[in-house]
Amino acid sequence: MNYAMSLDYQSCIDCKACEVACKEENGVQLGADKQRIWVTQIEKSIFGQPFVALHPSQCNHCLDAPCVDVCPTGSSYFAEGGIVMTDKDLCILCKGCMEACPYDARFVDDTHVAVDKCSFCYETRLVHGEVSTACQATCPTKVRLLGDIDDEESDLVKMLKERKFYVLKEEEKTVPKLFYLLPEHDDYYAMNSVDPDTKIYTWDTFKPIIEKAKAKRKPQWKKIIL
Amino acid sequence: MKVELSRRKFLQGSVALSVLGGSLASVPTLWAKEKPSSNNTIVATLCEMCVNKCAAFAYVEDGIVKKLNPNPLFPKSKNMLCARGDAGIHALYDPDRLKYPLIRIGKKGSGEFKRATWDEAYEAILHGTDKFQGLKQILDEEENNRSTIGFCAGEGMGEHTYKQFMGDLLGSKNFINHSSICLQTTIAGYTLTLGSYGKADLENANYVIMAGANRAEAILTPDTMDMFKRTRGRGLKLIVLDPRYTNTAIHADKWLGIKVGTDLAFVLALTYVVIKEVLYNKDFVEKNVDHFETYKKHILTNNYTPEWAEKITGVDAHEITKIARDFMANAPRAVYYQGRRTAWSKQDFQLRRAQAIFTALGGGIDVKGGIVFGKKLYLHSHSVEVPTYTTNKRRIDRNEASIVGKNGTWIGFRNMIVEDRTPYPVRAFFSYKQNPMQSVPNVAKTKTMLEKMDLVVTIDTMPSDTVMMSDVILPECTYFEREDPVKSFGGTQPAIVLRNKVLDPMYETKAVFDILKGLSEKISRPLFDIAAKYDEYIQEEIEDSGADAIYEDDGYNFNNAYEQTQEEINEEIITSTYGEEAYETLKEKGVFYPNMDKYFKKISENEYQYYPEDKKYYTTPGGEKIDVQDTCIDEKAIAALKKNLGTRSGRVECYLSSMIKKKVDPMPVWRDELYSEAPKGMFKFITGRDAKHTQNSTTNNIMLLDIMKENYLWINKAQADEKGISHGDWVSVKSSIGEVKIKAYPTIKIIPDVVFYVHGFGSESTGLTFGHRNGASDNLIIEDTVETVFGSAAMHETVVDVRKV
Repeated sequence: MNYAMSLDYQSCIDCKACEVACKEENGVQLGADKQRIWVTQIEKSIFGQPFVALHPSQCNHCLDAPCVDVCPTGSSYFAEGGIVMTDKDLCILCKGCMEACPYDARFVDDTHVAVDKCSFCYETRLVHGEVSTACQATCPTKVRLLGDIDDEESDLVKMLKERKFYVLKEEEKTVPKLFYLLPEHDDYYAMNSVDPDTKIYTWDTFKPIIEKAKAKRKPQWKKIIL
Repeated sequence: MKVELSRRKFLQGSVALSVLGGSLASVPTLWAKEKPSSNNTIVATLCEMCVNKCAAFAYVEDGIVKKLNPNPLFPKSKNMLCARGDAGIHALYDPDRLKYPLIRIGKKGSGEFKRATWDEAYEAILHGTDKFQGLKQILDEEENNRSTIGFCAGEGMGEHTYKQFMGDLLGSKNFINHSSICLQTTIAGYTLTLGSYGKADLENANYVIMAGANRAEAILTPDTMDMFKRTRGRGLKLIVLDPRYTNTAIHADKWLGIKVGTDLAFVLALTYVVIKEVLYNKDFVEKNVDHFETYKKHILTNNYTPEWAEKITGVDAHEITKIARDFMANAPRAVYYQGRRTAWSKQDFQLRRAQAIFTALGGGIDVKGGIVFGKKLYLHSHSVEVPTYTTNKRRIDRNEASIVGKNGTWIGFRNMIVEDRTPYPVRAFFSYKQNPMQSVPNVAKTKTMLEKMDLVVTIDTMPSDTVMMSDVILPECTYFEREDPVKSFGGTQPAIVLRNKVLDPMYETKAVFDILKGLSEKISRPLFDIAAKYDEYIQEEIEDSGADAIYEDDGYNFNNAYEQTQEEINEEIITSTYGEEAYETLKEKGVFYPNMDKYFKKISENEYQYYPEDKKYYTTPGGEKIDVQDTCIDEKAIAALKKNLGTRSGRVECYLSSMIKKKVDPMPVWRDELYSEAPKGMFKFITGRDAKHTQNSTTNNIMLLDIMKENYLWINKAQADEKGISHGDWVSVKSSIGEVKIKAYPTIKIIPDVVFYVHGFGSESTGLTFGHRNGASDNLIIEDTVETVFGSAAMHETVVDVRKV
């Protein structure tokens, strides 16, 4: 099992259902800056006409995550299933992981006095045998799809074989596992803030990158401590 | 440290007490009363955070609702919960909830109340206190004219129960609801033109014009969400007309920043192009459109050309021509979306008529991808014995507009009272689940109306601005704490749903059904005695049969309406038509429709099938489905089949002759005198919704405040720059009736000369710890202008001045 997520982000309407479902499901601290997941709004104009691109996002559960490397206590760790987890008891709030994360996916949870971030609803859902996250389940337009990228027959891999996609900040070489599905028609690329520099992947071109990172990091995958 | 009374101790204590009391309480009864200390259950409920009633599962642990998840079984809500639905738990556990009945002891509106028992509250309603009068005195003085009691209700599954009590049993004719501040003009416009408001089949439409409607933000109706999976080259072309670039416009192929209040000119020009170029579905028009030739002549002779419309709307004439052609090329799978809250302009009724006729010209009526009527699963209604009074006068506002229906005109009704124009005194006012202090334009007048009342009673869950103006407050429980009347939802994939009770009511709250039952016990007989004193018809009946017999048998004893519990009524309604099994399905799963076990299928983690494609009710002339899936005729031909619409002629009505005597145009006409631009330097003010809050009902919800705490004034970036206004600056927004201060949001997403902020914020109630005075209330500045056909509010006719403070 190697959990990953695709996002058909052009269907997003910025209704924030995912943000609320996440907070309710996982007991995330209240506060606008305390978010495990979020929707980024990019507001621009083309020839004076406004356009908005919406990017729902969260922890990328990078296969080669820098947040784990910088953690001095082992609080951040690679867990079975390819999830980047945090052990709150071990966190000393040095915030090194928050600096290291290229996605700003982490924040200080004052209620647990520890850094918090998305866990793909491991504690609340996956451990009980569920196969979707709270954000996926609640979404009115079903942007997200959680799945197993090690399973060629999973709905997720089938989707990635059909659709082109890109990942965020790939130059950081963290091998992120949130796959942003591109519009089927490239007429709509600009409106979805896909520019000429965006590196576009297919399953065949991205799979070797996953394999390589997995070979490097899988030995570090630990059993999840709840 | 947790102190627990053990099960054994509890039983011993209880048994001992009952023995001492000499009662014969059996052991099983005691067992039933005690709740197991550890009990995890999942209850199928229906959301009530807005009006859509999405199906949800409530996860209950040890008697506490821990999480809400979407219930995928309901075809209408299709496995979704929005932000508000997810945050429903905080409506249940809101610390500011109304917890017990309250009786006013200070000045009206002062917020000084005393805690009361239910009996004391009912007693106060009947007899009054030293601060306010009771129903008995009021009705005695008004000689049993029950219409002296005005009453309003917000939308909800309890609305009918309340209306039945106030209108049918108590006997008042003066009912008002949200209709005239919401969707009255569009419902009426479509019903009079097409026979029904119908439903836009956005799952299958290939071309949609959405004007002013904002499905992505304004009341997120789940059955329209599928549209956003098909925009941007994925099958559905979306044209959005709106002065604002909304989240719906984000998905549009074309966004046109139309000038406020000019939509009718746009639709008439579309119609002109289609008629001039003969692009309409001729077969459909011939078979199904009445008075088409008259309409055609009317459109052409009035010269509603795209060039004419460009001058009024600001939309390029070429664009209008192109949209008209594209629309017809995609018809019948082409819809001009009906709209929801359409209380916009003085010309709104004619706008909706023009839209409906325009859609019909493409044949997109009663057909897949067009406006569909679908099917509704039958549920028999629960009837109660209704009393007769001859003393009750007709509703006061019936002449406030050309056509005033049973839902009244809020502004007309209120203004008559405020301006002392009523034909008889309206002295008491009951409000259920509505907050007119925030939802009706011109708050100052609503306040005056409530101040003039000798008795104000409110039934609600939260201390809203209206509740604070009450004499007696009756706390309702939230939707988690009651079973509501079973409901059937029509459509292409019809279903029946039940809101099951998740928990017993908290504090001393009650379901509205039980509140009215309790009130009936208190007031039924005393009010009958007053009726008997003044009503000659009742006096004659009493002479024949005796007072007690008349009281009991002819509906004057309201208690008879509440003999069965809501649960019993639901069980009877469901089992009588669909059998025991259907009832059990509803109790367990919340949703039922025939063949659900066969039809409902999970396709993937994100997709479900509710009905197989060939079983969906797309085309239902006269309410009966016709099977068009097996035939290979083309869609334009299917659309052109003879329909039997619910209008008087059974056809699409272009010309409503019945309107003439009501001094309403029989056909949509653009009237220059009903439109004006904002004077130079001033702005037209528009209001609207946001996906994160439901009108004014969620602004104390901590989870939703977390994602949206207050509203901002949208102002065109260039105009804000001219005025030196930057993001977050405080500005004053002033109209002829009021002034607010609010933070500014300069943006390119709104056209010049228009400003906007979201409705619902700016509550003045000190009872709302978190929602108190966040942002500004729109109705403090919106003038009480009405459109004259239905007396519906025209909320987008107010001109404001904006300056930095």
